[in-house]
Amino acid sequence: MIETLLAGLDAALRIDTFVWISGGLLLGMLMGSLPGFTTSMGMSILVPISFLVGDPLIGIPFLIGVYKGGIYGGSVPAILISMPGTGASIATVFDGHELTKKGQPRKALEMGLYASVISDLFSDVFTLVMIIPVAAIVLGFGPPEIASVMFLSLVIIAVTSMGPVVKGLLMLCLGIWFGFVGADPFSGMPRYTFGTNELYDGFHLIPMLIGLFALPEIFNAVKEGDISGSSVGRFVGERLRLDELKKSLRTICRSTVIGTGVGLIPGLGQPIAAMMGYIAAKNASKHPETFGKGELDGVAGAEAANNAVNGPTMVPLLTLGIPGDAVTALLLGAFMMQGLRPGPTLLETNGEIVFAILIAMVIANFLFLVLGYISIPLFARVVTIKRSLLIPVTIMLAFSGTYLARSNPFDIVTLIGFGLVGIAARSAKFDVAPMVMGFILGRELEYTFGQTLALAGTDWVRFALTERIGMTAVVLATPIVGVLLGVRMSKFRQRALKGGQA
Amino acid sequence: MPAILFLFGIVLFRLSVVHAQYPEKPLTLVTPFAAGGSSDLNARVFTSFLSDYLGQAVLIKLVPGQAGQKGTLEAARSASDGYTLLFTDNYRDQLHKYTFRNDAYDTNRDFVPVARVNYGQIGIIVRADGAYETWAQLEADARARPSEISMSHSGLWVALFVPMLQLMKDLDLSFKMVPYRGGGPAKAALLAGDADVSMAFPATVVADVEAGLIRVLATAGSERILEGVPSFAEIGLSPTTGYIHRVVMAPIDIAEGRLRILREAFAQMQGEEAYHRMMTQLGENTEYLDGADYEAVRIQQSNDYQELAQSLLDQ
Repeated sequence: MIETLLAGLDAALRIDTFVWISGGLLLGMLMGSLPGFTTSMGMSILVPISFLVGDPLIGIPFLIGVYKGGIYGGSVPAILISMPGTGASIATVFDGHELTKKGQPRKALEMGLYASVISDLFSDVFTLVMIIPVAAIVLGFGPPEIASVMFLSLVIIAVTSMGPVVKGLLMLCLGIWFGFVGADPFSGMPRYTFGTNELYDGFHLIPMLIGLFALPEIFNAVKEGDISGSSVGRFVGERLRLDELKKSLRTICRSTVIGTGVGLIPGLGQPIAAMMGYIAAKNASKHPETFGKGELDGVAGAEAANNAVNGPTMVPLLTLGIPGDAVTALLLGAFMMQGLRPGPTLLETNGEIVFAILIAMVIANFLFLVLGYISIPLFARVVTIKRSLLIPVTIMLAFSGTYLARSNPFDIVTLIGFGLVGIAARSAKFDVAPMVMGFILGRELEYTFGQTLALAGTDWVRFALTERIGMTAVVLATPIVGVLLGVRMSKFRQRALKGGQA
Repeated sequence: MPAILFLFGIVLFRLSVVHAQYPEKPLTLVTPFAAGGSSDLNARVFTSFLSDYLGQAVLIKLVPGQAGQKGTLEAARSASDGYTLLFTDNYRDQLHKYTFRNDAYDTNRDFVPVARVNYGQIGIIVRADGAYETWAQLEADARARPSEISMSHSGLWVALFVPMLQLMKDLDLSFKMVPYRGGGPAKAALLAGDADVSMAFPATVVADVEAGLIRVLATAGSERILEGVPSFAEIGLSPTTGYIHRVVMAPIDIAEGRLRILREAFAQMQGEEAYHRMMTQLGENTEYLDGADYEAVRIQQSNDYQELAQSLLDQ
């Protein structure tokens, strides 16, 4: 095994591999920062290029670079114009955009970059070293376990949202209901579609995100009326100081663990990692009331978690040939086109190539750091654009990005509809985050729950107590955790109210 | 005199347009499948070669959604000028009319097959360390414990589900069907022990069989594909159960000459060594059938599925 590792190291250390990874990273960052241009869309366009290159040690790291860059790239519009570029940056919007409004976009972007790089590096090394035992763990997570973890996560997200627990739970349920719209995942029967074809696939996430987060900001800006000449900030703001980064190191470590854990469980994905990382950071903080008002720790918590997911998601792909999501499915295709068969024998027959690819992933993080660092001042200058220009461009990006995602005119309706929902929620002081998470996870939860029921058959009590104890434990623990966290959160809220706005 | 020359010029111009070589611009292959899936990959491989034989690029347009209906509708509504084609499979073409209500198009009325690119034959798989070493053992256990043995499938009315239904109907067995999102997760469920049986295309489990993780108990067709493994015909099923045919279709009103050019291009592509190699690398075969010959297969599929749908409705 060590020889294969060393052989892989030898194979990976090539200039052209680095060049192609850098190219992939740049393309990924660019695509991720364009709202509506999802990473999987970009990757599927680039798969033929990776094949034409001819060499799996160049083609595959290229695609992985695109993937990594894309996850980070989504944080750029999230921070700068309150528009999450991908579902992964949903939690970055909360504090990232507030920091921009405070005149510190560069700090936020840099914190996002460093947090992403550090966590990605650790989770990639973890994947490299622990790939064999991890494969066994991953198989152990079946639908019952996944469903119970999702259930727990949703409850945590609802009770720790901004505002009273009841409001959070209400928004959660509303989000889950939005997720019901569309075809029933088991029988294909349409639900809440009112006979239309457009709603058969349900609402799409991208217009919902853009509508909920970006449109209210635009609306507010227009309402304020001050769109003549000023910009959000005159300068890009200061750079991130070393002591600020150090303060967030604990959060980054915590989020790395969370993100790696989420990456191991198939089907959860970056959005949930980001939210969990954010919530954990908020919970562990000595001043949680600053979260949501421009707290660097919040950006760190979210971005570190969502990048840490990348490494472990490759494990089921490389060891069993089973892709966990759309991106790994594309990678599977890319592998096969190179003549490699991901699966149990890949490590034996092409071990050096697998390790070389994983090592290239690790190295990509350093390149990522350099490229990100160079491009941030460029990105951050967006805020110096006059508002009278920036707002119309943002509106245009919102609408075109929405249409770009699926070429479906109905998505524009979704965008406007959720824009109105977002504006209403803001004025009534409802937090939309639980609603989005309810939407994203609600469908998955319904599907995994249905699978669980199918597996359980008629004797579900025996199933729950003997076969799937893990699931039962998590489900029983959920209300307890929910209550404890809810009480804790309301104590902080009381403190914040008594002590005035911190 | 100038008028006559002018008229002559126009006539010449019109003639030249009529005799212009089709195709003059790139074609679009509407692909109603998810990005990165096996259909997407198949399409990417054969379109890259087909472009050489047609002289124009064949561009893939992924239109997933509504179990393939969205893309199929788009293709049905497109102009019949031969520049828009549809990539589909037999389940979508002949079965879904019974399972998904759809008034917008009728695949038999709206499409004509250009070529069948390849086919896949499904196989029944179990864990190698599990209780079943032969199909006979599995069958016996399934009869003894109806609806208790769990079978993982890849989703309703597609490649794994339909053969399972036909198996249960023709052999009067019942399994506990557990849905998964695709063949990969279905296989993972089998390996994890959540399911006891599943189905898969043998090419996708070659590595698992070699590694001693999975055992194939039977394969579709009338002939054996793997040594020592019975065919579906031997275990009592119709020899046509469990085949997925990947087909390229054109709108039915396409001009005869253009259809011929397309069919010829596909036929010529079969002589290309690199094409066969790439498909084999993907784990697929290249059993091509000309569109005209595929019509017969289509009719037979239609009858099979009508029967299947009828039997389900009778339950």
